[in-house]
Amino acid sequence: MNVDRVQVESLVPLAIYFLLVLGVVGVMLAIPRFVAQRRRSQARDEPFESGILSVGDTHLHLGVHFWPIAIFFVIFDLEAIFIFAWAVAVREVGWPGYLEMLVFVSVLLAALVYLWKLGALDWRTRRQQLQDSLLSERG
Amino acid sequence: MLLTLFYTAAAVAVISTALVVTQLNAVHALLYLILSLIASAVVFYLMGAYFAALLEVIVYAGAVMVLFLFVVMLLNLGQRTIEQEQAWLQPGSWRGPAVLAGVLLTELLWVLATGSAAETGHVVSSKEVGIRLFGPYVLAVELASMLLLAGLVGAYHLARRGGRLR
Amino acid sequence: MSVGSPLNIGLILGAVIATAAVLIWVERRLLAVWQDRLGPNRLGPLGLLQVAADMIKILSKEDWVPPFADKGVFVFAPTVIMVTMLTAFAVVPIAPDVGIIDFNFGLLYFLALSSLSVYSAVLAGYASNNKYSLYGALRASAQTLSYEVFMGLSVMGVVMLAGTFDLRVIVEAQQNLWYIVPQCLGFAVFFIAALAESHRTPFDLPEAEHELVAGFHTEYSGIKFGMFFVGEYIGITLSSAMMVTLFFGGWHGPLLPPVVWFVLKTAVFIMLFILIRGSLPRPRYDQLMAFGWKVMLPLALVNLMLTGALVLMVGSDA
Repeated sequence: MNVDRVQVESLVPLAIYFLLVLGVVGVMLAIPRFVAQRRRSQARDEPFESGILSVGDTHLHLGVHFWPIAIFFVIFDLEAIFIFAWAVAVREVGWPGYLEMLVFVSVLLAALVYLWKLGALDWRTRRQQLQDSLLSERG
Repeated sequence: MLLTLFYTAAAVAVISTALVVTQLNAVHALLYLILSLIASAVVFYLMGAYFAALLEVIVYAGAVMVLFLFVVMLLNLGQRTIEQEQAWLQPGSWRGPAVLAGVLLTELLWVLATGSAAETGHVVSSKEVGIRLFGPYVLAVELASMLLLAGLVGAYHLARRGGRLR
Repeated sequence: MSVGSPLNIGLILGAVIATAAVLIWVERRLLAVWQDRLGPNRLGPLGLLQVAADMIKILSKEDWVPPFADKGVFVFAPTVIMVTMLTAFAVVPIAPDVGIIDFNFGLLYFLALSSLSVYSAVLAGYASNNKYSLYGALRASAQTLSYEVFMGLSVMGVVMLAGTFDLRVIVEAQQNLWYIVPQCLGFAVFFIAALAESHRTPFDLPEAEHELVAGFHTEYSGIKFGMFFVGEYIGITLSSAMMVTLFFGGWHGPLLPPVVWFVLKTAVFIMLFILIRGSLPRPRYDQLMAFGWKVMLPLALVNLMLTGALVLMVGSDA
């Protein structure tokens, strides 16, 4: 057996397991089709909003402040990939690699500090900020 | 066995990518795009690039696509977006690009048919990747960190100016 | 019996699903004990048949898909969490000859699948076409994304010590010294990240009932709700199993057979998850996010650099 070649055969158990998982999930979804009760009532087909009649649709621009999180995540995840590659070969690349990584992580931390200082990592609403500043003034 | 799996995964990738283009609903299109990325991860795996395959799933399917989905959810306009998509998918607007892409495709097929087959199935270990990255390509890593820094700062400022952040 | 034998595959899948089902009862009983109540104790010995009763009830509930929902995606969303969480179990090394696959990128495989599981909440929120669901989904994904970054970083200390992503090799390397000793910081970060990924108190803001009804699964009922529920328990079991594997020596232990040690250690961590739910209050959303980015991320990076220096210093001596 040549270890340097891709061994598809070693994946067979994983494939069987995956198919079994799909089967279990499929059965779980299928059972209620046969045994479940059916009901009809007036408000059955309305969105549940704690008993208040739903107004408008869900196309609201309600979470713009979530958007930077997604960007930060993508970029930090990419940086994490470089760290993964370093972590597994840390002994082989030795101190030069360590120094390189130190610079890399410093850049990462500098970016984090910069965002922190800008207030990009502050997800409080304006009211919460106001409350907090009032509280700190009072001591 | 290996070749069958390879071509199946490649076919899934191509078909799901075509479906990305033709879907009217943005979220459905993204689901096909995720499927396409996972299929190309399988292709990477079968070529022996295990590390690249898993990174493809972690970074593209698990991070970049979430960002896309996020944007779609934040800016979703429902029926109006679908109508707009429908208008864009009129034959008039995609005929030109399709012909040009067809030219590229024939060129690619010709190169593939005449060129020598690349070696596949050679396993690249993760250690090898790390040693290369932090050995000969150390400068590239450093540049990548700078690029990501610029991306981070730029994206935040653009987002803050574009949208009302709080 | 060897890794990947048909018997192994069947038994592991059965055991994981049974664990998730029994955990519903375990959690209610334990929470009750810690709150000076009795909990479900009527059906069968110790109330254990409650599990069966719950199952019958949830299966016989109407399989309702809201007419205003995006139907295909609505059904697809709960299957995502079940499939990703169950599939991730394939790489968990339960004992030297118990497991589904011996994969030399096991840890990355785990991280990849847990990064895919975020789609479950996002798609559920989108497909429900309900404002609470949408907001819950946004919160869930923002939280999961934030904590996922340093979940990956926190386990890299272990990778450095073992020099591989192979979970079996990592366990074998802990024969003499469990990685919790050199990696206590890494473990703390990983534990908090795992807690956040499971969307449980104190990190259950995506489904905070006092403000968002039930978050991303507001419109879900019957078995589809049950799948989110069971998926969460499978996630807890998976996280506990990973903690045992990465930091607490996996199957190593005196006297008892390896499988028993693994199960016992995993059970301890599952109970820790429940104890934390029973004892901690829920923070405010911005506090939760700020904690992740301002405390945990720098901590994970510091741990990384310290471990790197340690590994290199010890390595050059030898």
